[in-house]
Amino acid sequence: MKNWILLLLTIIAVFLLALLANTIIDRKAEARFAYQPKVEIEGIEPRDSVWGLNYPRQYQSYRKTADTTFRGLYSTSGLADVLDDQPELVVLWAGYAFSKDYNQPRGHAHAVTDIQATARIGSPWTKGDGPMPSTCWTCKSTDVPRLMNEMGVTEFYSQKLSDLGSEVINPIGCADCHDPATMNLTITRPALVEAFEAMGKKVTDASHQEMRSLVCAQCHVEYYFAKDLPGKEGAQYLTFPWKDGLTVEAMEEYYDNIDFADWIHPLSKTRMIKAQHPDYEIFQMGVHAKRGVSCADCHMPYKTEGGQKFTDHHIGSPLANVENSCFVCHREKKEDLVSDVYERQRKIKEGTGYLQKQIARAHIEAKKAWDLGATEAQMADILRGIRHAQWRWDFSVASHGAAFHAPLETSRIVSSATGKIQEARIGLTRLLAELGHNEPVEMPDLTSKEVLQKYIGLDMPAELESKKRFLEEVVPQWLKEGREREAATLPGNNNRKIR
Amino acid sequence: MTGSSENNNFLQRLLPPRKWRMAATIAVGAFLGLGFYILKLSNAASYLSDDPKACVNCHVMTPQYLTWNKSSHREVASCNDCHVPQDNFFNQYYFKAMDGLYHSTIFTLRAEPEVIKAREASAEVIQNNCIRCHDTRITDPKLMATVEDHEVHRTDRTCWECHREVPHGRVKSLSSVGYQIEPIPMYESEDRDVIPKWLRAFIEETDEEQDSIAAPQKSQPAIPE
Repeated sequence: MKNWILLLLTIIAVFLLALLANTIIDRKAEARFAYQPKVEIEGIEPRDSVWGLNYPRQYQSYRKTADTTFRGLYSTSGLADVLDDQPELVVLWAGYAFSKDYNQPRGHAHAVTDIQATARIGSPWTKGDGPMPSTCWTCKSTDVPRLMNEMGVTEFYSQKLSDLGSEVINPIGCADCHDPATMNLTITRPALVEAFEAMGKKVTDASHQEMRSLVCAQCHVEYYFAKDLPGKEGAQYLTFPWKDGLTVEAMEEYYDNIDFADWIHPLSKTRMIKAQHPDYEIFQMGVHAKRGVSCADCHMPYKTEGGQKFTDHHIGSPLANVENSCFVCHREKKEDLVSDVYERQRKIKEGTGYLQKQIARAHIEAKKAWDLGATEAQMADILRGIRHAQWRWDFSVASHGAAFHAPLETSRIVSSATGKIQEARIGLTRLLAELGHNEPVEMPDLTSKEVLQKYIGLDMPAELESKKRFLEEVVPQWLKEGREREAATLPGNNNRKIR
Repeated sequence: MTGSSENNNFLQRLLPPRKWRMAATIAVGAFLGLGFYILKLSNAASYLSDDPKACVNCHVMTPQYLTWNKSSHREVASCNDCHVPQDNFFNQYYFKAMDGLYHSTIFTLRAEPEVIKAREASAEVIQNNCIRCHDTRITDPKLMATVEDHEVHRTDRTCWECHREVPHGRVKSLSSVGYQIEPIPMYESEDRDVIPKWLRAFIEETDEEQDSIAAPQKSQPAIPE
């Protein structure tokens, strides 16, 4: 009898154990759905609005990058005409598209519309038209990883900007930095991976905190288009000049070694380098980077909403959000923190403002020397001085944030550039005197954008007129084609699975 | 000798009659097998570790995990550093076992509250662990000398009566999580890569090509050095 009871008890115990196993399986199944996104993101999804169905808070805060109301001491998130503000830049960039049109940058949400609207890309009426290669799209859109995947990376770099007009319609967004399956940060641009390889490093080894800067470094860096690389003929291959280091001197040497020039200056005949926007490189040389702060720590601080803590995707100036960004570490008055930033910006601007006017004069003086019959040998050292001075000046201003990201490094760069341009101008003065011109060179009105644009031979009214028509006739067509192509894969469409 | 014969007797009395032995063996085997299965199913071994990911084996801890994962404590303290006594090994595992059994019971009974709060015993452990790391901060003689009633303020209440956001935030509940994928084991693939597959394939392809193509020739700089 006892044995019967024992057997019965064992059977009951086994039964209960099985029940327990059952609830564990149940609850594990629950975990697969609890807090889990509802829309399956398929392939490389370029549309933020689809990701936004799963991550409304991140999406909605990211939408705020469309905001144009921020005003800093010199910067704004709206469109401000920099050439109007600092007309001498027209002379610095003569012969290069930046002399036509250069605005303060707006937020990520405007990336595609702003590049379509700038006079820099001209008015390409048909596919294959226009001065700019497709490589220009690389940092503008989530359609880029999709296209690179579809057509191949080298092929993507081998077209004209206008060829991909209807393919690239979504501005920078979710798919540029996130893996849709895990939402982990991810690197989608080949140039950064290749730059790390060139330095003998592996981007895969980056920690999460480093990734919070590296996703930005996919674009916010110095770069150039390498033409006709072996095996990549016909491509304008996006490359970061990082092989020898991230300092301004290391990159300068890199460019000198491959004798690279973005363009030849029509006034001074200098082989010029255009610095792009080395935000990441300069930030690495500042005290915040040294202390392990990432881009996202200040530009995308944590935010709490209805009990949920998440990363604020409204990327912009931390000065618009001092409480969430600076206050995490600095327990100072907001006014003090803001004025600390402005102080650095003001002091650096003193140097760069003076420097850029000197460079403008040097270009015009060099033109005078050529006009008076200077020889290439006489000009060589001078042109090299102008090349390096303007490259260094550009390196210190082009990223907009340098004065705060690394004030000491930036003022060091500005000092070195000032020295170089003054030496060049001393050389020019001597040369001009030798050529019989022993008086100041006559300057155009350096305070008027219009006068200077005419001086360097631009017909801006005609360019702008054609641009206006381009925006009215071509761009809407690009958008229409793009939207039609996308409509087939919208969520809710039958071709699409919803979990 | 008597003890052993009694023991034998006892064992013998436990043994089922010969014709039931087969059934009983199978039943005991099933019991043991299911037991091991449950240990595996519930990831039981992970509870011996200090890995915070073990605490989100059950999804009701997701709010706690997420808030910790977005806090400064993430870098320096795991769940166990605060929620389990750290005074000695035995106490640590005893408390962990008791707490764990309590949690699993409530969870199995589906009796978990919408907002999980620390019980008294747990609160004491947490408070002691705050002090364990921050002792130099709160017993700083400078503060004792300059801050009025410093001694009273830091001893008559718990730390989080004032530091309410640390580390889980002020508002947290099962319904305040929203949709989030966090890198917890269930969702993370083993071959995770920071580079998408298509780009990885491209990089590897060019690496191979570069091995077969000579390095690009440096052109002579036109600008004299």
